[in-house]
Amino acid sequence: MNDRHMQEKIIRAAKFAMNDAALFLDTHPYDIKALEYFKKYQKITADATAEYTAKFGPITMDALPQSAKSWTWIDGPWPWEKEAN
Amino acid sequence: MWAYEKKLQYPVKISNPNPAMAKVIITQLGGPDGELGASLRYLSQRYSMPYDAVKGILTDVATEELGHMEMISAIVYQLTRGISIDEIKKSGFDSYFVDHTTGIYTIAASGVPFDANAFASKGDPITDLTEDLAAEQKARTTYDNILRLADDPDVLDPIKFLREREIVHFQRFGEALRLVQDQLDSKNFYAFNPAFDK
Repeated sequence: MNDRHMQEKIIRAAKFAMNDAALFLDTHPYDIKALEYFKKYQKITADATAEYTAKFGPITMDALPQSAKSWTWIDGPWPWEKEAN
Repeated sequence: MWAYEKKLQYPVKISNPNPAMAKVIITQLGGPDGELGASLRYLSQRYSMPYDAVKGILTDVATEELGHMEMISAIVYQLTRGISIDEIKKSGFDSYFVDHTTGIYTIAASGVPFDANAFASKGDPITDLTEDLAAEQKARTTYDNILRLADDPDVLDPIKFLREREIVHFQRFGEALRLVQDQLDSKNFYAFNPAFDK
């Protein structure tokens, strides 16, 4: 597993924890424990995404770095390709 | 993976309900040239598309079309808020109401439910992009027809925005088709299918 894949694994896991907690929070909006859990992974996701973006390019187009000199958004591999996984 | 943005791409704020107009406009959700078919068509075509720039345009237009589905649904929702049974009967909305009440259902104005035949995915970049160019023009014509049928400025405004986006998408797909052709044999673009033949 290369560095890119490692970073992606962290983001995928943290983001999944967020998504899963979000579903629970939709029906339990005042559950403080769940909210804190969400926030914990929100922070991990944000930090890991910033690090990933700086090294490998944007995962969402909003994250395109201000320093970008070209539109790296289109650079492969794309998520459905084996090389990306 | 997708993330939801909790806002419309362009605002929809309709003061006067009009179920007859809702019944017409819903065709851009579930009709043959509607936003659902458009989004699914471009998302499906991405997998066999060999060129990064075109994967990009298909992904990004498809994502925008999901947002347009939401706008059309919002228009239909607002046009059918608080309507009485009398209005439903008089407007001809009764044929939709009996099956779906005022829920949003993907259906053409003619009453045909969404048909997956409307989203073509052929596995050939030239074929698929030519399909997409036609699709954007067909959607533009549908919006032109809606603009002929509607007279409420609250409805005309977001419909005009959506019509304009069809034209922009047509331009971008035209460029995508040119990008694909630039990488093929100019004497015979059809000598092989870059999505299949190696």
